[in-house]
Amino acid sequence: MEMDAQETVEPQELSGNNMIEMIKVSRSYPPDIQALSDISFSVDTGEMFFLIGRSGAGKTTLLKLICNMEMPTNGLIEVAGYNINTLKGKDLALLRQRIGVAYQDFKLLNDRTVAENIAISMEVSYKKPRAIKQRVRDLLDQLQLTSKHDLLTGELSRGEQQRVALARSVANSPRLILVDEPTGNLDSDTTARVMDLLTRSNKAGATIVIATHDESIYKNTNNRIMELRDGQIHSLTRGGTR
Amino acid sequence: MNFWFAVIRQTGRNLRQTWSSQFMTFLTVSLSVLIFAFFALIYTNMIGAGDRLTNDVSLIVYLEDEPGPAMQEQLRRKILNFDEVEELRFVSRQEAYDRFAEQLGKDSDVLHDMPTDFLPPSIEIVPLKNLRGYSKLKLFSEYLGSLPGTEKVQYGQDWIERFYHFIRLLTIVVLLSGTLLILTAIFMVAYTIRLTILGRQDELELLKLVGATNSYIQTPFLIEGILQGLMGSIIGLVALYGLFQWISNRFTGPGILNFFQFDFFPPYILAAIIVASISLCAFGSYTSIRKFLQI
Repeated sequence: MEMDAQETVEPQELSGNNMIEMIKVSRSYPPDIQALSDISFSVDTGEMFFLIGRSGAGKTTLLKLICNMEMPTNGLIEVAGYNINTLKGKDLALLRQRIGVAYQDFKLLNDRTVAENIAISMEVSYKKPRAIKQRVRDLLDQLQLTSKHDLLTGELSRGEQQRVALARSVANSPRLILVDEPTGNLDSDTTARVMDLLTRSNKAGATIVIATHDESIYKNTNNRIMELRDGQIHSLTRGGTR
Repeated sequence: MNFWFAVIRQTGRNLRQTWSSQFMTFLTVSLSVLIFAFFALIYTNMIGAGDRLTNDVSLIVYLEDEPGPAMQEQLRRKILNFDEVEELRFVSRQEAYDRFAEQLGKDSDVLHDMPTDFLPPSIEIVPLKNLRGYSKLKLFSEYLGSLPGTEKVQYGQDWIERFYHFIRLLTIVVLLSGTLLILTAIFMVAYTIRLTILGRQDELELLKLVGATNSYIQTPFLIEGILQGLMGSIIGLVALYGLFQWISNRFTGPGILNFFQFDFFPPYILAAIIVASISLCAFGSYTSIRKFLQI
């Protein structure tokens, strides 16, 4: 693991009340592709954490491991104090309700409306229909998608779909939000709105992990930034020190 | 929003999205219930008719010679040795002649040239109700035929025998059709649920990722199966009732249906058919959930 001593975060900053804890995590795919090797880091509760690196560096794989979409080949992953790989059934479902994920491929249901796609994350935790409607309207308003409320997501542009996916990830007010390339298809104005939404969620107490290679969204941050290269941690720094 | 509200809404979505295959399954279940219930209705009515038929049965034992009082007593004892009977009566040659003449009425003069003892003496036996099954009657008649001095035993055996063979055949038809139709209904429901599950893999995957519990995902599919069973059986039975009414109206008056006294199922049988249909369709749904809905 290559880490610059000057840029290394002090150990005490990594300890404390951790939302995510990864210890010596590896993930490989057959026949012999090593997507992640020996990853150890932790993310504090309420922290906004940037995960950067080029395409293929392992950012998406890391997010998939955190939300239990995939299992690690080795190592321990804890989310909110739970070993996410041993959770099953209702316990796993309840934990997932507290994790919002905006996937790189959006995972939208193209035969459902924008409102229905956003509502789905709240429906599974049995929120009241009126509260769901109100929350959907607020989010669409914040992301300038109000006019798209009743459109099928299949009819939206990539940028609009990306915002819908983001809205769905924050809709249920989760404790942990994982965002994969949130600004890839957006102009600078919309990027600012998206970051504003994420910042507000973070201020409301949510831990946020953003995987991105868009430097504009982390260059002025004072949050921690972890860079992956070839599936390994290249650096873990505090923003502004880079 | 509570669990059941969410589940019912999800079930509604499933039904809307796959309405054509759902409709075909619903028709199959209805038709299966209709065919099975139709055979079962005929079967139960035939059993009822069989009971009524044997209710009226009496055995006539023709004797070689007129028995004296002592012989009559001996025969009575031997017959009662086999089983209690409801009625046992000796009919002499003269009584038989008189009855015959009475039956002939104004044509009785054809008997004028005949001797009054040309008819054989007999014993008329009305068996107890518990002896009126076909096999028991047969055993009893064989026993009576083996008594000394008996010439022939008659109880309409040809007619009863044919009738019971027909009932046996009908039993096989009901059992076979029931088994085949049950398998068809289960298969169709399982297949439809499977189609729904496969057609909604993306959504089910997403539901898992956003934290839907197993019961949130699985229950709508189970409800679909239950609805198929409930609606299918009700419509099947309503169609059967319509058919029953049509047959009853069409064949009123003196005829075979009057003899059979064609009755519809009592409420508890209707309830049993509906419950069985629901259970089977839920089972079909459950097998698909187990096989194709890996959570």
